[in-house]
Amino acid sequence: MRRLFKSGLNVRSLYPAPLWRRVLTVVSRHNGVILLLIVFCGATTIGGFVIRDMREANVEAEEIYTRSVHGLQRIGELQFDAQETRRTTLYALTTSDSNLQVEYADQSRAADQRVKDGIAEYARQGEEPAEKTLANRLTNDWVDYLSVRDEVLASILEGSTKEAVSLDMSRGVPAFEVVRQDLNEVKRLYDRDAARRQANLVSVSRSSTTRLIGILCFTFLLSAAAVRAIERSRMMSTVQLAKLQMEFVASVSHELRTPLSVLRSAADNLADGLVEGKSALRRYGAILQHQSRNMGELVDQILLFASTEDGTNRYKLRPLEVAPIVDSIKGETETLVKEAAFILDPIIDPDLPLVLGDRAGILQCLHNLIGNAVKYGGEDDRRIVLRVLTAPSENGFDLELRISVSDQGIGIDSSELAHIFEPFYRSPRVQAAQIHGTGLGLSLAKRIAESMGGRLSVVSGLSMGSTFTLHLQIAKGQEMPMAATASRPESSLIP
Amino acid sequence: MRQLTTILIVLAVAAWPRADAVMARGGLAMAPMAEQSPLPEPLAIVVNRSNPIDNLSSAELHTIFLGGRGYWANGRRITLVMREPGEPERKAILRDVCGMNEDQFKTHFLRGLYTGEILVSPKILDTPYGVRKFIFNVPGAIGYLRISDVDATVKVVRLNEVLPEEKGYRLHLQSQAVN
Repeated sequence: MRRLFKSGLNVRSLYPAPLWRRVLTVVSRHNGVILLLIVFCGATTIGGFVIRDMREANVEAEEIYTRSVHGLQRIGELQFDAQETRRTTLYALTTSDSNLQVEYADQSRAADQRVKDGIAEYARQGEEPAEKTLANRLTNDWVDYLSVRDEVLASILEGSTKEAVSLDMSRGVPAFEVVRQDLNEVKRLYDRDAARRQANLVSVSRSSTTRLIGILCFTFLLSAAAVRAIERSRMMSTVQLAKLQMEFVASVSHELRTPLSVLRSAADNLADGLVEGKSALRRYGAILQHQSRNMGELVDQILLFASTEDGTNRYKLRPLEVAPIVDSIKGETETLVKEAAFILDPIIDPDLPLVLGDRAGILQCLHNLIGNAVKYGGEDDRRIVLRVLTAPSENGFDLELRISVSDQGIGIDSSELAHIFEPFYRSPRVQAAQIHGTGLGLSLAKRIAESMGGRLSVVSGLSMGSTFTLHLQIAKGQEMPMAATASRPESSLIP
Repeated sequence: MRQLTTILIVLAVAAWPRADAVMARGGLAMAPMAEQSPLPEPLAIVVNRSNPIDNLSSAELHTIFLGGRGYWANGRRITLVMREPGEPERKAILRDVCGMNEDQFKTHFLRGLYTGEILVSPKILDTPYGVRKFIFNVPGAIGYLRISDVDATVKVVRLNEVLPEEKGYRLHLQSQAVN
């Protein structure tokens, strides 16, 4: 029994479940996959944000680096060319060769042209008012210095060395000092701009980190919520299982108590000597026999279900003739059918092929189906049709053997069709009608059919009766040509 | 045969008397002057572009090139720029402006510097490029260049109100007396 209940770890419902419960059921069944999916989604999302932020930071850093290198290079070149202008002018003092002096003058003018170009570029690129003002000031100061430089050069070339030195000391040095301060100011502004950009980068990096932490928190909360939902669904499954167990115990107890009460009463009567005469004794004997058989069958069903649930019952499939099996089941259920005032009407097609299956399994399956037909067969048309025929299988190419059991009873509502093969499921309508049962018969029949490589199908409607069909494989080499069966009338009850 | 003909033609062309050689021998004396001997290249007198002077007389030029004048009218010191001894331009200036040969010119300046009559000796530049650059850099510089060496960095002054390209200009590389 415990093993039986263990099988109920899967969520089962006695009634059609609401949507939220079905969702929880699905979540519960695939909780690992869902968790993996959530983690994957979270990781993918975080990864995407991380990659985007890293790319942005890289672009920003690259821009800063490029600007830094380029800017420093330009400032360095500007400072060097300014020095070169002055240096080459003073070189001309070191010689009295007019040709060399002219060459130095040329070099000085080339350097001063580079400085002018550099200042013009700085003025073009300057974005802030301070930079533009500085560019204008630098331009003017450089022009002032150049005017002194030209006079110094002229004096040198004229040969007035003393005058040239005097001029350079009195006006050239101060003018160049002003230029040098301007260039230092350029560097200072550049450093300030670089520091501002660096601060921006740090800010971007900080905001990225904050965003990442936020995303991580969000993902963590999402995962926690998912885990909680799964835990909740598991808890509900456990509650559901406990409820099923209780209901099963109650149902089995009730099913056992009824024949047990009869047996006890009969035994009491016999013990008390209240039964006299042969006919009375025979009647009591029949009662004891019938009730003990009922109890035995119930116990057998429970044990059989437990064995199929555990997977220990493996049928040995072999080619079988169907007609003898039908004869056997007819004999086995004769009492049951007759006592319920039903008629079992077998309709067997001639020349049936051998079927691949297990005799005991097929008998058990049919026994359950006929038992159900008797139980729910209704009051008006008390005829149970047992039809055996061959028909195309699901794939449309092969043939299969179908054994269908049809009744004209209360039928099954379409909303319940999806649940009737679930273990322990019992229709509320049937429970209300106080029709006893364990809810194991159809589930057991279905498992037996599938264990033999076949399947069990149903066609039913409310108050229209039901047809349960056992689909079995035809033994290899026993297939009949499709043409042979094409002319055969197909039962409308078989799906 | 064909090669021999070609060689003969080449030799005949090479042996043909040239126009200047003919002129030197007194040949073609009846031909017009322009066709017989193209004019020698003019020698331009150049100063710094900032120099306000536009015209110099032959006498002023003579005085300047002999160091007799130290300053321009604007107060700038006059710096004389010469090519190296032996250059055709220098020869033309010495002959046509200074009226001296090389030795006389040197002696004149040595004596002037020694006596203090001349303040600065001429600056010697190797190339026309050097002359241009020097004059460009020195506001009071004055020098000379072939007209083909003149560019926008220097200013050409008139000589006796005549520009080098104009008719009647008297300063050329070949002997033309300046009177």
